[in-house]
Amino acid sequence: MARRLMLALFSALFVLYVAGPVLWLLSSSLQMESEITAVPPNWLPPNPGLHNFIAIFTAGDSAEYANRGIAGFLPSGAANLLPSLYNSLQVGLWVAALNLVFSLTAAYAIAVIDFKGRRATLYTVLATRVIPDIALVVPLFLVIRNLGLINSIGALVVTYLAVTVPFTIFILISYFEGIPRDLYRASRIDGCGHWGALRHVYLPLSLPALVAALMFAFLTSWNEFLFALVLTQNAAAQTLPIIIAGFVMDFTTSFSFVNAAGVIAIVPPVLLAIIFQRYIVSGLTAGAVKG
Amino acid sequence: MRLRLSYDDRSAAILVLPVLAVLLVVAAYPILYSFWVSLHDIVLTRPLRRPFVWFENYERMLGDARFHTAVLRTTVYTVVTVTVTTALAVGVALFLNESFRGNKLLNALLLLPWATPSIVNGLMWKWIYDPTYGLMNALLVKLGLLDSYRAWLGDPDLTLFLISNAAIWKQMPLAALLLLVTMKAIPDDLYRAAKVDGATVFQRFVHVTLPALRPGLMLVLVYETMISIRHFDLFLIMTQGGPGDASYTLSWLIYVETFRSLRFGTGAALSYLLAMLTFLLSWLFIRFLGERNP
Repeated sequence: MARRLMLALFSALFVLYVAGPVLWLLSSSLQMESEITAVPPNWLPPNPGLHNFIAIFTAGDSAEYANRGIAGFLPSGAANLLPSLYNSLQVGLWVAALNLVFSLTAAYAIAVIDFKGRRATLYTVLATRVIPDIALVVPLFLVIRNLGLINSIGALVVTYLAVTVPFTIFILISYFEGIPRDLYRASRIDGCGHWGALRHVYLPLSLPALVAALMFAFLTSWNEFLFALVLTQNAAAQTLPIIIAGFVMDFTTSFSFVNAAGVIAIVPPVLLAIIFQRYIVSGLTAGAVKG
Repeated sequence: MRLRLSYDDRSAAILVLPVLAVLLVVAAYPILYSFWVSLHDIVLTRPLRRPFVWFENYERMLGDARFHTAVLRTTVYTVVTVTVTTALAVGVALFLNESFRGNKLLNALLLLPWATPSIVNGLMWKWIYDPTYGLMNALLVKLGLLDSYRAWLGDPDLTLFLISNAAIWKQMPLAALLLLVTMKAIPDDLYRAAKVDGATVFQRFVHVTLPALRPGLMLVLVYETMISIRHFDLFLIMTQGGPGDASYTLSWLIYVETFRSLRFGTGAALSYLLAMLTFLLSWLFIRFLGERNP
């Protein structure tokens, strides 16, 4: 049938376009430096192996580091990769956790309570995201520097919190507004205060939106580059994207090593995105239909 | 009653204040502070000399040849990225809106580019474009479309489009998802009615799908424009503004002016110009696309 043939063709093109580049990166990361620099290239690794990944995880170990033969030329900052992975994880988890608390409480107040300055609060929150990051980075650098917080994990956590909170508040508000108001009234009649209503009615009923918010906060922190580039200076606070960017711009770096580092940075966000696909899609597209 | 109201206000204040405090310190204050900085001649290498110069920084930048280049490059990059992303996203959304086996799997796969960190995206495409070992040369030569290997990113006529291609790969999925949700909300009755009236597939797309897609399309256009016009990561990792000034965009100019030349005054002024441009564009989009509701 013509329709089935067309759909099969489109599916193949789709998979090739979406997954092709990543598969090529993955294939490169499993090859030795000599294999990766073959012309024409090896489409699939002739002797697939994890040597590049082993090199990354042992880069801090001086004995292994001396044995450079395993993966060609290791960049000088190779030992920073593992600490930066840890920093990224730490920042991402802190942002996700704090974001959840902050946006849950604020979204409840804005969606449920009829208080003075409610509209003003909502607009203030949303307006902060209209300013481009690149315009914010200069003054933010000065503010953080004056506070003496340059090169600290805390500065990144607070910055990413401000970057992610407006959107997660927006997701949660549109979700809260779909929860029947009668449940709220019933809880108030039963003697719940706002804290009780939030805890016993809104929190348990909005799990999908909360998962979407958590994922969004973590992924944004994990992937963010510009603020981290400006606000951090060395391995004590630098996150994974900064270290990888350093490798890419260092011409002596081994390609296979950089590609392996790229694969490591891709794995956590992609896994999370695919596991929590349903929540993420409904969260990201919340409000799109309403226009 | 008055007591109840004040309980509401008090609770709301406690619940909202933490967020407002963070946004005040990390967003609102820096934005205002930035304006103050943009009115001073601040060069970080001379910390004690920072005269107030009114709008001189703005004037100087508006007359600077690098600024004109940057506006041109940013415009080309944004127009190409937004147009292709949107067109591709409409196609992908139409495709995924069909029901067929494996549809769910492809939907999940769509999140792969979206979740890829932009730095890895840049590294990946830079590696694909690599003049000697890259996939692109090998593929094109093998298909007979190219005689000999080329240094793709080294060609000033192509650089901007190649960077744009990498950006499109990452940005298309979210746009497609937004359009897909909008499409799913179109009632089937509309299509059936159009079929009864004898409309072809193409006519149904133009007269049923496109008008219903308008809110989604507007959202995608505004969002994609906002992120393309300010995009930075790929320019740093792939070309650093080069070769020559072939990829010298506004965000790259801001970065160079501020963090390489350490001229914070002009850097802040440029940031404000970019922010105003962003505001103006989103206003125009909403004005001309949003109001005409059927």
